[in-house]
Amino acid sequence: MRARWRWLALLLALVMVAAACGDSDDGDDAEPAAETTAETTEAPAETTEAPAETTEAPAETTEAPAEEEAATTTTTEPVVRGAGDLVIWADDTRTPALLPFAEQFGEENGITVTVQELTPFQDIDDRVLVAGPAGEGPDIFIGAHDQLGGLVESGVVAPIDLGDKAGSYSEAALGALTFDGQLYGLPYSVENIALIRNVDLVPDAPASFEELEEVALGLVESGEAEVPLAIQQNPGDPFHNYPLFTALGGYVFGRDAGGNFLPDDLGIDSEGGLTAAAAFSAWSENGLINGDLDFDGMIEAFASGAAPFAITGPWAVPNFSDVNYVVEPIPAVQGGTPQPFIGVQGFVVSAFAENPIFAQTFVVDFLATEEAALGLFEADPRPPAQLDALAAVSDDPDIVGFGEAGQNGVPMPGIPAMNSVWQAWTDAYQLVFAGEDAEQAFTDAATQIRNLIEQG
Amino acid sequence: MTITDTAVERAEAPPGGAHRDPTSTGGLVARLAFLAVVDAVALFALARLLDDGQWFAAAMVAVVTITLNVIYLIPGAVPAKYLAPGTVLLLLFVAYPVGYTVFLSTTNFGTGNFLSQEQAIDQILRTAEVGDEESARFDLQVLLSPEQEIAYLLTDESGALFLGTAEGLTQLDDADLTTEGDEVVAVGEFAVAALGDLADIQQEVQDFEVPTDRGVIKFASFTTASERTKSIVYDEERDVMVEVATGVEFSPTGGRYVSEDGRELQPGWRSGVGTENYERIVDNSAIRGPFLRTFIWTFAFAILSVVLALAVGLFLALALDDERLKGRRVMRSLLIIPYAIPSFMSALVWQGLLNRDLGAVNRLLGADIGWLSDPWLARFSVLLVNTWLGFPYMMLIATGALQGIPSSLKEAARVDGASGPQIFRRITFPLLMISMSPLLIAAFAFNFNNFNVIYLLNRGGPPVAGSETPAGHTDILISYTWRLAFEGGRGQDFGFAAAISVVIFLLVATISAISFKRTKAFEELI
Repeated sequence: MRARWRWLALLLALVMVAAACGDSDDGDDAEPAAETTAETTEAPAETTEAPAETTEAPAETTEAPAEEEAATTTTTEPVVRGAGDLVIWADDTRTPALLPFAEQFGEENGITVTVQELTPFQDIDDRVLVAGPAGEGPDIFIGAHDQLGGLVESGVVAPIDLGDKAGSYSEAALGALTFDGQLYGLPYSVENIALIRNVDLVPDAPASFEELEEVALGLVESGEAEVPLAIQQNPGDPFHNYPLFTALGGYVFGRDAGGNFLPDDLGIDSEGGLTAAAAFSAWSENGLINGDLDFDGMIEAFASGAAPFAITGPWAVPNFSDVNYVVEPIPAVQGGTPQPFIGVQGFVVSAFAENPIFAQTFVVDFLATEEAALGLFEADPRPPAQLDALAAVSDDPDIVGFGEAGQNGVPMPGIPAMNSVWQAWTDAYQLVFAGEDAEQAFTDAATQIRNLIEQG
Repeated sequence: MTITDTAVERAEAPPGGAHRDPTSTGGLVARLAFLAVVDAVALFALARLLDDGQWFAAAMVAVVTITLNVIYLIPGAVPAKYLAPGTVLLLLFVAYPVGYTVFLSTTNFGTGNFLSQEQAIDQILRTAEVGDEESARFDLQVLLSPEQEIAYLLTDESGALFLGTAEGLTQLDDADLTTEGDEVVAVGEFAVAALGDLADIQQEVQDFEVPTDRGVIKFASFTTASERTKSIVYDEERDVMVEVATGVEFSPTGGRYVSEDGRELQPGWRSGVGTENYERIVDNSAIRGPFLRTFIWTFAFAILSVVLALAVGLFLALALDDERLKGRRVMRSLLIIPYAIPSFMSALVWQGLLNRDLGAVNRLLGADIGWLSDPWLARFSVLLVNTWLGFPYMMLIATGALQGIPSSLKEAARVDGASGPQIFRRITFPLLMISMSPLLIAAFAFNFNNFNVIYLLNRGGPPVAGSETPAGHTDILISYTWRLAFEGGRGQDFGFAAAISVVIFLLVATISAISFKRTKAFEELI
């Protein structure tokens, strides 16, 4: 009955696709994405294809003189062909950061490198999944480790071999991108949530979560604050609740000696998990945690100074410029250390890369350096996974604060079984916040998750 | 062509001809223009499809285009001329999606089964090459012979130089090398290659292996190579994967290589699984559990949505039909607004309005009501929002239908002494239903699958406590399908989702068919 709107939407989508296709240089992309090209794709291919040795000049001039001589002494030097394009998919924030490196790599090696911008970030891996096997995917893309498990299981990403360079990356970051003993990407940034404290409202860091609770509720009671703890829920948020959940002994999946997550060992209804569930029930009852507060509400509360504490990640911090804040680890809950989920983003090589040699060389030789990591950080400040680069930016108090909080962190499981967790667990928190029996809610959630894993 | 030409030709056409003379210039030009556009689009599509190797689709496009050309170019075949465009669009937008959904429902397409079998084999073998602490690592320079043969110049950690070819490793001494300054530029006939030189032989370099005692040396990046062992090999003749360490064999079963003790290799590939997806709907108690309650609510939601929207819409249509009311046009226009806003937007707006703490509704009432968190209130809210979205449509068609009822009927009833309510109940309403009932059935079918409102308002929530798989109190079948196929289990499960879609399609089709038959009977009765 409201078909006309669907037609309008379809029409609009078609127009957008047409516009996107018109803009693109290769005219071959199925995805209606904006495209930022460092250099055009098709044109150089054609110019370099026809003539023989004479046209190698533009490609080779930027190379080291020694190699140039080598090239001239051996008459068999083949012409650099435009087929050597390297295509990278990145999201809107990282495309500009990546462009200078793409250009530099292209110039140094006489090839053309294209950075395509795709938004939103979460959609990139879905598109790789479909486009890769069809031969229309990128050579390299930026992916999040928790989505990588599905891609590995589907067989659309290629392992890389960092060799000795692995030593200069944080172990947690490498571990997050490793599946069955193979590394599937170069870690780029490591993100986790932490406690953010309004220094004007609370000058001293609370020594324990119990103290935090007391201070926060006291401030609300005295009218100095409105929201005791700005932590996003609505209706429930297992990701943001995870530090508190783990501090009380809960966990999501157990791990074997090799660090692999075990889908059979679900910890949501473990003893610690149920203790945590009861604690969330208590926090909801005394008003410390508000189940209806969403991301916007959380931002609003802390940015306006109405909340003394927030628990959130680096992505939210740019909103807090009007507040005098400090980033620090969440204090111990009943003596237990909070362990936030660590999210790792990395450069991943597609299993269907048309140019696997260029792709692996760009990732392993070129991007896996301190300079590249620092350059990427300057263009888009996310805590670097490269340890030398991390040390070099350690004068940034936010980075240090998040880094300290992340030291106790655990990688978010990237195994496909994790897909079965989110909805059921969100439901469980929602039921707890609605005043249902916490133990029952978490036990039920665990049963649901086991059913889903078994059924999948 | 000029206007006068056409006019003359029209005038010359035999009187009483049922249709325009097919040979008229205007008609011919119009037809040719139409065909030119169709052919241009078809040729463009054909070129792209052939380029991509989509033979079946290309053949279909060719057949359809030729058929259209024949139909419109030969004289006669008038019914075909009228039916052809509609038929093509029907096939394209209705029959094809339905057919493809049915096809998908018999496959295992989804996370873990995206590739073709050849692609899966390649990937299994590639990921089965593993390095360990004992594996040697080398600095690499890629060498190319004049015949484009690949070889590796390898430097191990102690600085010893090796030539790696497909036959194996040979240690080199300085005499074998051609150097310039400190740089090695050639080894025998092999010249050191620059990265750009490898542009056209990347797959070959990627697959190039230097055999060693422990395994093979392979490319890691342009400057490094590493030794790896193959933990799995493929026996092409028997189509089995063999684990080297144990000798365990994995044979292809349902889109995966599976060993006798049930271990599976990743990834799998797309393959037909027959009725397995349908059996899962029937067999799995975890799925059947919330299925029944969801099924009942789906009916309740669809029926109540139609009834409530009809009640509100009809009331407003009747009220605005009264000529004594001033400003009827303005009011009608304003009341159509909910219909004019895309439903996914209004659903999100309502979600905000109904938020317990921050929503405008609770603030206005000064209350603390969990509109979206209490099961019954959430059902009420979903119906409220859907009624708000749906009543303008009902109002519009009721207004139209009211115009079609002759006022003489009402006058006659009034003369016979019938009261207002009696006229409505005995005359207006039954007559309205004749023209409106097909639309009500369509509205029912639409609401049966009204994913937008359910998912965007509350994602099917609040959750049902203690259900066997995650399910919400306001979930309808289609949103529950979404949960099962995309939010649980192994990630994306297109085959299973397609199977449930087919079941829902059959349900809705059956109900609609029965309803249409009934209304026809109703019509004949009157």
